[in-house]
Amino acid sequence: MSLERTVLAPPPGLDAAVALGQPASTLVRGGAFLFVSGLVAVDPATGKRAPGTTASETRLILTNLGRMLEAAGSSMDKVVKVNVLLASMLEAVPMNDVYATFFPDPPPARTVCAARLPDGYRVMIECTALA
Amino acid sequence: MREAIAAPTPGLDFRVHYGHHQSPAIRAGGLIFCSGMLPIDPQTGERQHGTLTSEAHCIFRNLKLLLEAAGSSLDRLVQVHALIYDSIEYDVLNRVYRRYVANGPPARTVWTAQSEAGFKIQLDVVAAA
Repeated sequence: MSLERTVLAPPPGLDAAVALGQPASTLVRGGAFLFVSGLVAVDPATGKRAPGTTASETRLILTNLGRMLEAAGSSMDKVVKVNVLLASMLEAVPMNDVYATFFPDPPPARTVCAARLPDGYRVMIECTALA
Repeated sequence: MREAIAAPTPGLDFRVHYGHHQSPAIRAGGLIFCSGMLPIDPQTGERQHGTLTSEAHCIFRNLKLLLEAAGSSLDRLVQVHALIYDSIEYDVLNRVYRRYVANGPPARTVWTAQSEAGFKIQLDVVAAA
């Protein structure tokens, strides 16, 4: 038996596939889950890159993520796993401080690591949620 | 339905010891998603820095505790991301890894990344519930 696979269109301005010209869908539903591509800080009004500090990028990404999930019929309290990629692990604390204001109790499982990110971004966040 | 798995021992609650805003694991849709596993003393929460081998042993012991508390086990791992500090240790990782996934090992991806506090390895895993 095959499970449903649906590509969901994010709200305008938040579609990385269009805004940044990537061959990726931002949200894909597979079975019970919703898989969200790695998000970077994008201005939802213009779809343009909005790099900043680790704190400002985290806030913008998670604000956009919440809107996307709700538009897709899910929500922040249905997120099961988050992967956070930082430009430097020295900035894990400012990321965590902002992050903690977005997720309800109990928070999702999470993995944090540092990697080289594109375009000088400080933060990239991907997640899996229940659809 | 999404259910948080509590830390099986006091040391494995990263929220208490390090303020990380995360649950040890979440069960949802028949799967268990674990937070990034690091070499931590399962009783005290103290960091157990060592070689990649010693850190990996510690992580697998902790992972076994966590998965068994969630009603799963190392034999039910589905996918593993192994984040190591330097790919020169790839063979070192494999030697220790093999001992814990003897039968039908899970899907796996290994890459190099920096983990918190200078740890040499972090495992990010999904298991069948």
